[in-house]
Amino acid sequence: MFELLPHLLHQAVFGALAAAGFGVLFNFGFRALPWCAAAGALALAVRTIGQDLAWSLEGASFAAAIVTSCSVSALRKQLGPACNAVALAGCIPMVPGAFFGQALLGFLSVTAPNLVDAEATLIVAVQSLLRVIFTLGAIGAGLLIPAHLLRNQDF
Amino acid sequence: MEQQQDPVIVRHRELERIANMALRAGRIMMECGASVSVVHGGVTMIARGFGVEDVGMRSGYASLEITVHAGGNTITRMMQVGRLGVNHRLDQAVRKLAVRVSHGGMSVDEVEGEIGRLVRETPRHPAWVVALAVGIACASFGRLLGIDWLAFGAVLVAGTVGQYVRHQLLHHGMNVFIVAGLIAFLAATLGGIGSILLKSDTVSLAMMASILLLVPGVPSTNAQTDIMDGYPTMGSARAVWVLMIMVFASVGVWFAETLLGLRSL
Repeated sequence: MFELLPHLLHQAVFGALAAAGFGVLFNFGFRALPWCAAAGALALAVRTIGQDLAWSLEGASFAAAIVTSCSVSALRKQLGPACNAVALAGCIPMVPGAFFGQALLGFLSVTAPNLVDAEATLIVAVQSLLRVIFTLGAIGAGLLIPAHLLRNQDF
Repeated sequence: MEQQQDPVIVRHRELERIANMALRAGRIMMECGASVSVVHGGVTMIARGFGVEDVGMRSGYASLEITVHAGGNTITRMMQVGRLGVNHRLDQAVRKLAVRVSHGGMSVDEVEGEIGRLVRETPRHPAWVVALAVGIACASFGRLLGIDWLAFGAVLVAGTVGQYVRHQLLHHGMNVFIVAGLIAFLAATLGGIGSILLKSDTVSLAMMASILLLVPGVPSTNAQTDIMDGYPTMGSARAVWVLMIMVFASVGVWFAETLLGLRSL
């Protein structure tokens, strides 16, 4: 367990930095940015633990989004209606943008002339695209289900 | 003269002002990244704060429509919506205003003035701060994807430059999809060249990490939220928009990889 700690810490720190960086892009105020960072660290920590337990990326992302959404909902007295947005910012580092790019680049490769291994290229591209769809679905559902069940206020 | 004193026309004009002001608030929320249900909720709260009895709304990707009914009079108005982005502070400020208006006691002029003040005065981070933050975010994304430390600095610089140029191009009104393609090419090329010069072993990953500033995370989750909330048309429109952005971004990366000799055309 302890040998996993440096990796877990690494993922949490860079999850926090990515979430806070995108928080600035989304024009969160300086008071909300530490909450975005904390949500990002929590999300990445839970996802990393899930993946270390041999869960799929989709399953681990779903668990991470659920935990992040519930944790932020518990802080709704402090955060107010912004709690849903903070949870979303925290989950942004889990959005599989790189897989999306790989999938589309793979599809572009399939149409190239003199392609050597078309089947393998196509399968990798389809796998990446499916992973994107399922992971995005997992993150969205993980964020929305607790927010609806716990009746988080939008206003 | 007689027409101006006709109580039906006077009431219609009052309703029109309420409808247009509520639509303006809704448009700002939509442009700031709110989901359709939040926009509808906010607009309805504002309209009801002025005594409107029934509110009906329809949201498209580029327009909002409202029908308001009060005192036996009904009108329908439509307003165009601009480019959809994310502005958390302005979004939250307009939501707070909607709550205040729903309690009653404000005039249409006061609310219009307050909306104008929020648009003018809600603070934004300076462009260079946003660029640097996005650069750090891209480099952090890169570490999560598995880039080595040698590529970290290259991705940070590529993401920072990419975001700054993107801000300038969008500010000058360039098409958002063309901007996505251009910035993907620029950021991936910078990230790739930097990684090669620094002898990184993860050049391809670094190029991909450099363009992650373009990944539309909020619109993609909003698409799902809208569909789950019962607005599949808007959700589908957002999903298509996300797909188009990623297609343009991928083509930009494709050209960058070709330029650096990592891929043949």
